[in-house]
Amino acid sequence: MSDQGIKSRPKYAPLELDPAGRHHLLLVEGPALPAEALAEGFEPAAFETWTVVNRSALLPVQVVDAQGESVRPFRAKGHLFSALEERLARETMGLRLYATGSEPFLWDVARIADAAGMSRQEIRLAQAGSKARRVFCVHCRTYGEGVTTSIFTCGGCGASLFVRDHFSRRHAAYMGVQVDAEVPGAVPDAEELYA
Amino acid sequence: MTLQFKPNETFRRDFTYRNSSAAILHFPFPFPEDQYMYSVNIEPHVKGGASPAYDHVFDVDEHYVAECRERAQVLAEDPKRCQVLPHMMAAQWDTLELLMENLAADYPAHFSLTKAGDLWTWINRPLGLHQSFTFGKAETLPCPPFEYITRQAQGDFTLQDQREDNLYVDGGMVTTQADWSFEFDIGMSFHEWHGPVPLAHEKGVFDRALKYLLRLQYGAPVRRLNWTMTINPRLDTSPENYPVWGPDKASVTPENVGQKVHLRVELQTLYRLPRSNAILFGIRCYLASLEEVARVPKWGKRLHRVLRDLHPDIEAYKGLPRFRQMAVDYLAPLDDGAELSKGIQSELTAL
Ligand code: HEM
Repeated sequence: MSDQGIKSRPKYAPLELDPAGRHHLLLVEGPALPAEALAEGFEPAAFETWTVVNRSALLPVQVVDAQGESVRPFRAKGHLFSALEERLARETMGLRLYATGSEPFLWDVARIADAAGMSRQEIRLAQAGSKARRVFCVHCRTYGEGVTTSIFTCGGCGASLFVRDHFSRRHAAYMGVQVDAEVPGAVPDAEELYA
Repeated sequence: MTLQFKPNETFRRDFTYRNSSAAILHFPFPFPEDQYMYSVNIEPHVKGGASPAYDHVFDVDEHYVAECRERAQVLAEDPKRCQVLPHMMAAQWDTLELLMENLAADYPAHFSLTKAGDLWTWINRPLGLHQSFTFGKAETLPCPPFEYITRQAQGDFTLQDQREDNLYVDGGMVTTQADWSFEFDIGMSFHEWHGPVPLAHEKGVFDRALKYLLRLQYGAPVRRLNWTMTINPRLDTSPENYPVWGPDKASVTPENVGQKVHLRVELQTLYRLPRSNAILFGIRCYLASLEEVARVPKWGKRLHRVLRDLHPDIEAYKGLPRFRQMAVDYLAPLDDGAELSKGIQSELTAL
């Protein structure tokens, strides 16, 4: 992947248990834990795990399996986020939050945690799966989802947006800036970069 | 200097903004040496010194009224240029107090502040405002305190909350910026919002600057100068409006370069605030065309040398490639190669 040298682009590390925590909640943007997101020696039984299975006919109830792993499935991301908001509102000190999935998922989680008063040190994130980006159009404030190319057309104002590596945790998005603002029409070819 | 305001100047469309001779000498020329590179160029913000722009805590000049009108216009178009996160209310009042007290002390002919306990009365004569309010009670002002007072000041302001050994940009009034978006950056940490700057991270500039700022003391503000170049005297060069001002960059020709290309200098000041422990960052923007800058011979020569030898990464970051060479060619005949004194002072008493 090309590096624009911009330091706000987040870096991630495989997930490891934070020994300072008292309780560990792990959020997975999919039905199962991706091995690429886990540090060596990762012990799933130490975590309360929430997953996203993208299916309507289920209840989000916690199940403890034969290995002693506790897993609670959700119908979709939004379903999980609403439970997370409710859970964090009544949490006490000592909770550590872990999330793995695409970047937009990770930073949606981080924003909910921030709103609940958790500090950055209490959250650990590991990117896994799609590298597609969410991009915030700095001109019209429309979010573009699933962006995989260096340049794409804004769904709001129609500008050809260059995807800068400048990342806002609050917007959970990269910045999109019109690529031909100085000479309208001079749009370079888009490259597939974030598949 | 008695101020003769120029209330009808514009910073868009017909661009009638110009600097008087006095304003040119007042301009904080940013280059103490013939070369420019990023550094931790921070010094105490004390009165006096190499530029008359340092003579007041918050500098007010002939463009004051016109700049306040331009700010009101930008806010009418885009209210989100002013935002403060809810936990920063104490910092809002700190800002209002700092600005009112210093404007009234430095410019008694233009501003006055009287206090009877918490009941304050503020008079801003250039803008024709007379406001009584209760300090600490937001409902007694026509808008929140940070917005209220920064609508009456030149330059942008941001509020940094200090926590976890870092600074977070959790508030701001940003209508006259050099191509950065407050709406995008709000809530970022010091290294995050500086993410796009080349070279300086690797040189350790931001690590050292942050360490310094975390220890900033109340009553001991500091300052630094930063610069870029802007086509036409346009204050609002925001990324939001880049599609509006971007085409200006392609409009520079060897014939118009002296009038069109402006040196844009930011006098940046940093204050520890007493109640909130936040830091107020003032970004006071000055614009002067190459023609105006070159009326001070030392400055014309030095600007020529700096632009001629500028590091290509800095040139690209500041968005100069379309016109830098034309600016160098315009200034070259004015530079006889003579040795110039160190420092930014103009070495003139009148123009
Ligand atoms: C604490 C308040 C400060 C704020 C809110 C702030 C904000 C910013 C922003 C938004 C940018 C533009 C980044 C972009 O391209 O998106 C910038 C650039 C920069 N800042 Fe700061 N800054 C602060 C303090 C400092 C300090 C104390 C230094 C001291 C070394 C510094 C050095 C720089 C430099 C060297 C640049 C690049 C400027 C250029 O080449 O035009 N900043 N700053």
